[in-house]
Amino acid sequence: MDFDFSVITDNAGFLAHGVLITLALSLASGGTSLIAGFVLALLRIRGPRWLRPAIVFYIDSMRAIPVLVVLVWTFFALPIVAGVTMSPFTAGLIGLTVHLAAYAAEIIRAGIESVRPGQTRAALALGMSQAQILRRIILPQALVRMLPAFGSLASVTIKDTAIASVIAVPELMRQSETVAGQSFQPIEVYTVAMAVYFLLLYPVTRGVDRFYRRVAHLGRS
Amino acid sequence: MTFDWSVVWQHRDALAAGTATTFLLTIATMAIAVPCGLLVAALRLYGPVPVRALATAYVELFRNLPLILVVYWAYYVLPILADVGLPALATGLAALSLNVTAYNSETFRAGINSIRRGQVEAAMALGMSRTQALRRVVAPQALRRITPVLASTWVSLFKDTSLVSVIAVTELAYVSMQIRAQTFRVLEMLTAMALIYWLLGYPQAKLVDWIQRRYAVTE
Repeated sequence: MDFDFSVITDNAGFLAHGVLITLALSLASGGTSLIAGFVLALLRIRGPRWLRPAIVFYIDSMRAIPVLVVLVWTFFALPIVAGVTMSPFTAGLIGLTVHLAAYAAEIIRAGIESVRPGQTRAALALGMSQAQILRRIILPQALVRMLPAFGSLASVTIKDTAIASVIAVPELMRQSETVAGQSFQPIEVYTVAMAVYFLLLYPVTRGVDRFYRRVAHLGRS
Repeated sequence: MTFDWSVVWQHRDALAAGTATTFLLTIATMAIAVPCGLLVAALRLYGPVPVRALATAYVELFRNLPLILVVYWAYYVLPILADVGLPALATGLAALSLNVTAYNSETFRAGINSIRRGQVEAAMALGMSRTQALRRVVAPQALRRITPVLASTWVSLFKDTSLVSVIAVTELAYVSMQIRAQTFRVLEMLTAMALIYWLLGYPQAKLVDWIQRRYAVTE
């Protein structure tokens, strides 16, 4: 077996562009899912009673449907229903957000509910408003406790962006497929792609773990 | 716009066969990944140092790779390593097993480590051998903590089997997208695919919640 890694150097710019799109899609879908997840978690805990079953239903549905299916549906079927056309990146962003927001909502809800209700009662007794309690008592502790789960969510997000390759988002996975197909050197290309993904993902999981160990004491009460 | 939902019913046999393959892949992967995961966990916990390092490297590598990339990689590399052409189903099964084994081994390791050392020491002080202590003291308690995690891995795996559609394994996602390509009934077929996954996956997700409540450990 002879390996020829010149295919990588020849296509370095093309593949590097894929890495950039992977990072951009990860950051964008990570950010939107966190915001959407936060809103969903608050609505589930504090929102009107009639809304709660709908949110639980949405979250459980996302736990049941593969992200590939969500992405393919968003890209191919949603434009037919909504009558709009979307770029693959936009469809990827929407599909990933719809999927990941459910997981983010569960993490945030668990974090908020992990703060003992006695603290809320004590703060109410001190005359704080609900918003003040959330901002000054609950969230500072809950956010620290959510950190490890957010770390694995970040890793899941980066891994899920690779699935967006099936709807032709030009991220690293897709670019690797293209180069592998044109060069007939899939082994070299995919092995390098593995190394790149590992180098992207390993520091995220490890970095969050290390950061959490340093701040964990702030979440105790 | 007119929709023709009869296309779903017309292809019910193919969809049923795809669903069967999805379940087959899930069951077969778990059947491989549970014993292999246990073995890897044992190697990491009790093996000699070089074996430990190797097992750790394997687990860390596969936990930090997108599964879809592992699927492609297996598709191109396994035939060369094995020197024979493998059917797509076997390749998909291998890729899924490599991935889930890594996750399961972490589940087992964490489960075993969650039982305090003092318990093994106490068991040995009572005259049990190390194996006896592991089997009669550690294993029953660890199992209680491992079961809920394995259950949610199962649901993730059930969904992840859809990724082997990229190498033309004829499971539910691949079959649905094939029918879509042949009939051009895009919305109908993709919605049917999502609905079938939902119908199958939703009860499983609920079952996992129930198992997690039932096996919850309070200390």
